[in-house]
Amino acid sequence: MSKNALRIAGVSVASALACGLAGPADAQLLTHKDLSLAMATTIARATIDACKAQGYNVSVHVLGREGQVLVAVRNENAGLATFENSMKKAYTARTFARSSGEFADGVKGNPNAGALFLTNITPARGALPIKIGNETIGAVGVSGAPGGDKDEACAKAGIDKVAADLK
Amino acid sequence: MSKTALRAAGISLAVAFACGLAGSANAQLVARKDISSAMALTMAETAIATCKANGYNVSAHVVGRNGEVIVAMRGDGTGPHTLENSMKKAYTARAQRRPSGDFGDAIKDNFTAGALHLTNITPARGALPIKIGEDTIGAIGVSGAPGGDKDEACAKAGIDKVANELK
Repeated sequence: MSKNALRIAGVSVASALACGLAGPADAQLLTHKDLSLAMATTIARATIDACKAQGYNVSVHVLGREGQVLVAVRNENAGLATFENSMKKAYTARTFARSSGEFADGVKGNPNAGALFLTNITPARGALPIKIGNETIGAVGVSGAPGGDKDEACAKAGIDKVAADLK
Repeated sequence: MSKTALRAAGISLAVAFACGLAGSANAQLVARKDISSAMALTMAETAIATCKANGYNVSAHVVGRNGEVIVAMRGDGTGPHTLENSMKKAYTARAQRRPSGDFGDAIKDNFTAGALHLTNITPARGALPIKIGEDTIGAIGVSGAPGGDKDEACAKAGIDKVANELK
């Protein structure tokens, strides 16, 4: 190998190392799919309707990949806390990439779990992550039904409504 | 008029004054109509769809009688500030009972106006009060179009969509 070639090889290795710190080896942009407002609205409406059909008035939040609010709906017949609670449940499901109820079960025996003391985290059942395969792209949170399992069932109905498009 | 009758009349007057401060003469409950979540969803979706048709991506908020968020929607492809801005515009229109832009015009030359420094108040155009006659029952705020007047046009379309039910 010539001296020049060696130097070029050295630069390449250095570049690769430097870029490696910033992400993938080629430092290319990340490509991912995100929820549209239309899909988030469909999820929210289907969730509310599913609970309504069972006689429950619920508030709903649909959050996106970064936990940002995509759609929020306050139910006029639900308790005041339901609006906030649906957001926190959804945020919890999004960040832990599993149902907020599973998170709750996970920390049940550990009141000092650090995660419980983070902002917007709640150990209450009623939210599900929205996934494409194993990738969590958001979450839907529900509050207002008499029991987190009932909230969660409505969240599931909301996601099921758009399941065919989650790919 | 007898002395007793005079006294009775005096008491009636006193009662009428006292109750007058609290509202109706008989101190009965206040009867109000409020925006339902279904109506709020229709308004927000219509506002966003109208702006979309005009070529603008916007976020929207519908707030109720007490400025509470009934529906929040983050538009696809909008700047991250638009959700907050649409809320503040709506809150301002509700609080001021006039378009947020009219409030902005009114305090244009007075940036020490006290109202400007209240929480969630903004002088930005793009929100309209939702009224039944002269009674302001909420507001709709829009943010994301290139100009508050364009935001406001979409807010108007949202209200127009349910105009027949605002009575």
